[in-house]
Amino acid sequence: MRTASILFFVVATGTGGEICLTHAMKLLGEVHDFRPRSILSFVLRALRVSWLWLAVVLMALSFFSFLAMLSWFPVSFVVPATSLAYVAGAFGAKLFLGEQLNGTRWAGILLICLGVGMAWADDLPASLHYPSAITVFRWAILALALGPLFYYLVGIYSAWRFFRVAHRGAVQTPLATNEARPISILKPVRGLDPGAYENFASFCRQRYPEFEILFAVNDPEDPVVPIVQQLIADFPERSIRLIVVAERLGPNTKVSNLCRLVREARHDLLVITDSDVRVEPEYLRSVAAMFRDPGFGGVTALYRGQDNLQFVAAMDCVGSSAAFCGAALVARELEGLKFMMGSTMATTKERLAEIGGFEALVDLHSDDYELGSRIAARGYRIELLPEPVWMVFPSQTLGAYLRHELRWAIGIRNIRPGGHFGMLFTHGLPWAIAAACVAPSAAVGAAYLAAYFALRFAMAWTVGVWGLRDPVLRRRLWLLPVRDLLSFFVWLASFAMNRIEWRGSSFTLEKGRMIPVAPRAGRG
Amino acid sequence: MTSEQTHKTKTYVLLFLLVVLGSVGNTLLSKGMKDAGDLDISHFSSLAAGAARVLTSGTIWAGIALMLGFMVCHMLVLSWADYSFVMPFSAIAYALVPLLAYLFLHEQVSTARWIGIVLIVLGVVLINRTPHRTTPQETVPGMTT
Repeated sequence: MRTASILFFVVATGTGGEICLTHAMKLLGEVHDFRPRSILSFVLRALRVSWLWLAVVLMALSFFSFLAMLSWFPVSFVVPATSLAYVAGAFGAKLFLGEQLNGTRWAGILLICLGVGMAWADDLPASLHYPSAITVFRWAILALALGPLFYYLVGIYSAWRFFRVAHRGAVQTPLATNEARPISILKPVRGLDPGAYENFASFCRQRYPEFEILFAVNDPEDPVVPIVQQLIADFPERSIRLIVVAERLGPNTKVSNLCRLVREARHDLLVITDSDVRVEPEYLRSVAAMFRDPGFGGVTALYRGQDNLQFVAAMDCVGSSAAFCGAALVARELEGLKFMMGSTMATTKERLAEIGGFEALVDLHSDDYELGSRIAARGYRIELLPEPVWMVFPSQTLGAYLRHELRWAIGIRNIRPGGHFGMLFTHGLPWAIAAACVAPSAAVGAAYLAAYFALRFAMAWTVGVWGLRDPVLRRRLWLLPVRDLLSFFVWLASFAMNRIEWRGSSFTLEKGRMIPVAPRAGRG
Repeated sequence: MTSEQTHKTKTYVLLFLLVVLGSVGNTLLSKGMKDAGDLDISHFSSLAAGAARVLTSGTIWAGIALMLGFMVCHMLVLSWADYSFVMPFSAIAYALVPLLAYLFLHEQVSTARWIGIVLIVLGVVLINRTPHRTTPQETVPGMTT
């Protein structure tokens, strides 16, 4: 049984890896130019294809399990047995790659299979020495634990590539007056965030020729209503409207309110931000400058925290700017942005109509992600604003923070199961601890832990302190390992759960769709 | 016509490189690891010494370089040829290793092994009579990443 399963694993991962590799190469198109320069550019292009990375992971798994197999069985059994991979590869090529295998090719493959079996069924004369299964396991852990360290390096590189341009980008391309398209700012709000008035006022103080701000609430008694009325009184020169939305189109009330706001909006360019976001006076100019390029479908923004935060809020902020913004920058570098973040979702009515409007998203939990991915799927670019926005993190309990993180993780697992599992290799601390546990000596273990701390802090510093200029991260960088460990447990828990609490109601998620759960009687 | 011929030539050159780089690279790596001796991982000092022997070994670096070359050739040839066409060619290495052992190390080769080698060569000859590419050449729209 063990023999059969490990053989299956070796063949399946190896063949799967090669099929992914072939698919990646076919996507890139034929290459006939063998000059070193063009080969290099081909390899660099290949590194941006996700299929290639999947191939590398599968082939590495296959290689390690092949070594393990060699440590258990003689090579005269292993090589002929794994020659089954030729047959598996032929089937895989037919099924997944659509290759047409004629009789001659099938015959050739079968002959080769037989031949490899015959040629290697004898014991080999060479006195080959292979490691024991425990050693292979130990080395596999030590090798895989390098994954997160590599991820941190990629993170540093991605952040450097983005901020090097972003730090001087805003000054480079001033917006001509005739390019300043009128903008509608849409704000679905609910309840009172700390600093709500200042957050909202920062949008009223924009240095921009023509824009309007539309607020939506469901409940006319909502505590946020007086704040908005105050704002209307304090900024009489601005067009500000408060709309009380009675209809509810789906479980995601924020999106449901957005449907109405889009209908009410007078202008074509829409800027949607969460209520806890605060911006600099040049924010709208910067958004409008991006949309001068007709290839742009959406603009989103990284974010940083205001200083003087309570402990848990600071941890939330450190996690957001160092970990989440870092991951977003890596995604941008490797495959281009295919999502947006609630900190800023800017798009046009035209693009929105192409994906079926917000009406298509009212059942979905991660609306910001889905909006971006649908616009990107239609071939439009999504890009980050050069300047991050400010996010006002509320004081909260540890329990509330963990529930919020868990809700977010469950949402992501639902829409991108593969990518969410791949996050395994972004969790450096547990890998460093695992490596330290199996390390052959204390010094090797210490080296892994030290490498984790050095690279983790280097990435956080590059993304958060240098790139985002986040004042919280600068002072509380030491919170990062605590946050990393908590977020690893949240990640693990996200596989066991599918039920989320949101705005006082329970839902289960199915492929990102929110399905309400009645409090007692199970599914409602 | 000529472009098709150069195309074919390129395929064979790459397949040849693939087999040679792959088998020589593998051999260099295992020879290098063997020369470096058994990795004793019970103490850090002996592990460090072992790692130092591995990292300073020219054989191992040459092996790594050849394996990188192997990977690039593999990627290049797969950019146009079928996977089910390229894959069987890698089996030549399985025939080549005992053959080289016979020629240069004067090791005994059993009858069964000779038959195996002949079967592999026959299989490769058959595969070679099939078209290199059977999938359409257009890339899938929207898959530009």
